[in-house]
Amino acid sequence: MEVTLDAGVPQKPGVLSELMKSFSIAIKDMKIYYFKPAILIFGILFPVAIFFAFTVGRNVDASALFPGLIALTLFFSTTTVGPFSMPWERLNRTFERILFAPVSVSALALGKTISAVVFGLIMSVVPLLLGILFFGSRVSNAWVLFLGIFIGNASIANMGTLISTFGSKQPQNVMLLLNLIRLPMMFMSGIFVPIFELPHWARIVSWFSPVSYATDLIRCGLGFKDYFGPLISSLVLIAFGVLLFLACVLRMTAWNRGD
Amino acid sequence: MREKESGTPALEALNLTKRFGSVTAVDGISFSVEEGEIFGFLGPNGAGKTTTIRLFLNLTRPSSGEARVFGLDSVRNSIEVKSIVGIVPDVSNVFSEISTTANILFTASLYGIGRKERMSRMQDLLETMGLSEYSEKKAGQLSYGLKRRLAIAMSIVHSPRVVFLDEPTSGLDVSSSREIRELLRNLKYHGTTFFLTTHNMEEANELCNRIAVIDRGRIIAVDTPERLRREATEAQVIQVEFNRVLDENEQRQLVSLGPFHKIVPMKDSYKLFTGDPEEAIECVFHFAFSNDLRICGLNTLKPTLEDVFVKLTDREASFGSHA
Ligand SMILES: Nc1ncnc2c1ncn2[C@@H]1O[C@H](COP(=O)(O)OP(=O)(O)OP(=O)(O)O)[C@@H](O)[C@H]1O
Ligand SMILES: [Mg+2]
Repeated sequence: MEVTLDAGVPQKPGVLSELMKSFSIAIKDMKIYYFKPAILIFGILFPVAIFFAFTVGRNVDASALFPGLIALTLFFSTTTVGPFSMPWERLNRTFERILFAPVSVSALALGKTISAVVFGLIMSVVPLLLGILFFGSRVSNAWVLFLGIFIGNASIANMGTLISTFGSKQPQNVMLLLNLIRLPMMFMSGIFVPIFELPHWARIVSWFSPVSYATDLIRCGLGFKDYFGPLISSLVLIAFGVLLFLACVLRMTAWNRGD
Repeated sequence: MREKESGTPALEALNLTKRFGSVTAVDGISFSVEEGEIFGFLGPNGAGKTTTIRLFLNLTRPSSGEARVFGLDSVRNSIEVKSIVGIVPDVSNVFSEISTTANILFTASLYGIGRKERMSRMQDLLETMGLSEYSEKKAGQLSYGLKRRLAIAMSIVHSPRVVFLDEPTSGLDVSSSREIRELLRNLKYHGTTFFLTTHNMEEANELCNRIAVIDRGRIIAVDTPERLRREATEAQVIQVEFNRVLDENEQRQLVSLGPFHKIVPMKDSYKLFTGDPEEAIECVFHFAFSNDLRICGLNTLKPTLEDVFVKLTDREASFGSHA
């Protein structure tokens, strides 16, 4: 046996070491989950199909539909990986593997979120490129567009991680819960109809959906009229992201109380 | 951070208790394990073995009491504890979708082991655990025994000071079990402390320096395997059936006649616990003759683990409330 013993006093790992662990968790998730059919169906096919179901036949310029399509793809793709992987790993008890190791709950939640964000980023770029290459979409403010896609993913991914901590260990139940939340949210986030065209009450409802702010940034970045403005949208998205992340950490910390 | 003092036990349970609703899985147990020991936790299904391990790793919280690893509290210092312990759980929960090497490398990264070091440890472990030829295979395609070896490799990749093994050979065939035991014996020479659960008496006997017998959440004996075995031989059983039922007085009389520890009435026979079955059988014949009874059946039974438990759970009681 060649493995040597690291005798000595155990130490709490530093922040950098914790970050590296988050990345390891994320990379492991990428290898395992990105190509699972369920992820691809719920993450991409589903939003694209829904989008066309609600927009085909409307008498608008194709490029005007793209901010909504990009936002919807972002929303669905970034919230799919977590709610799929977590119950799957709890069911197979591989999730415990991570709990065996000296990994803080925040590093764990961050790892789960990073894998979701990367998936969301890749997927939201696809409709963006399609729009630019084939449907005459035009980037009028690259920074705002970047903020929308980047902060949008980073913030909304935490919603997926949070949902993944609820419900049973059965992936299909968590997916059901996820879609029960996502489907209504989809209609109150300015995806199909810009927020300023909504009735007064619906506009107020849209303030409570982080997706509204991502949609708004993407609209603005692609040269369409915005509703909140880039600054407010970015700040609110960050606030949502932080709150959702803290909620994840709280939920995960409580996991060893029950069983 | 507490300094490592010599004399700090590797593992220590202080009145450790875990309740799940109305079920008390672990019921106020206390024990300590010295560094370098192989400590066995021997008990039947549902005794609380897995729960005890989970308490040490803070995978579940104690209802009361404390679990300590080298003086570190499992709840308050859980991250530090986890960095010096390894665990082989009762199910080989490897990541089926990725390769053997990817499983080991990922686990190593969770312990903060640098990239170069990870690679070299992975190579060593593949060799030690006899996994080299399966290194690129998806872990899900490995046989049951190979998965268990991979799980062991993953549990020691960070060179832990304490390794918990939850029924490491259950479900394995005879030769895989032997290989695993061989591997464990080799690891033992490095001063690592082992905490091993099993319901296999022979395995505990073969591997452990000390064994705790646990039943329904309580430790009912802690001793060396030799001494426990002596207890076990005292728990030999003869089963006898007479042509009629004995009353309490007669039962008492029978026990007082010979080298019996205990009589347990069964459906239509009696189990007699004894350290000397030959002498005991003579006494049974004698008793039958003098009480005008006929013997309809007589069997000597090898002591099962359960018999040892029966004996350990109520040493002092001689009369069978324990049917
Ligand atoms: N998460 C849980 N929720 C409720 N009850 C539990 C839980 N985990 C264990 N128990 C109960 O606690 C008791 C001890 O279980 P434990 O798994 O520790 O036993 P064990 O000795 O490991 O048994 P086995 O040999 O079957 O593995 C059992 O009665 C079990 O049903
Ligand atoms: Mg068990």
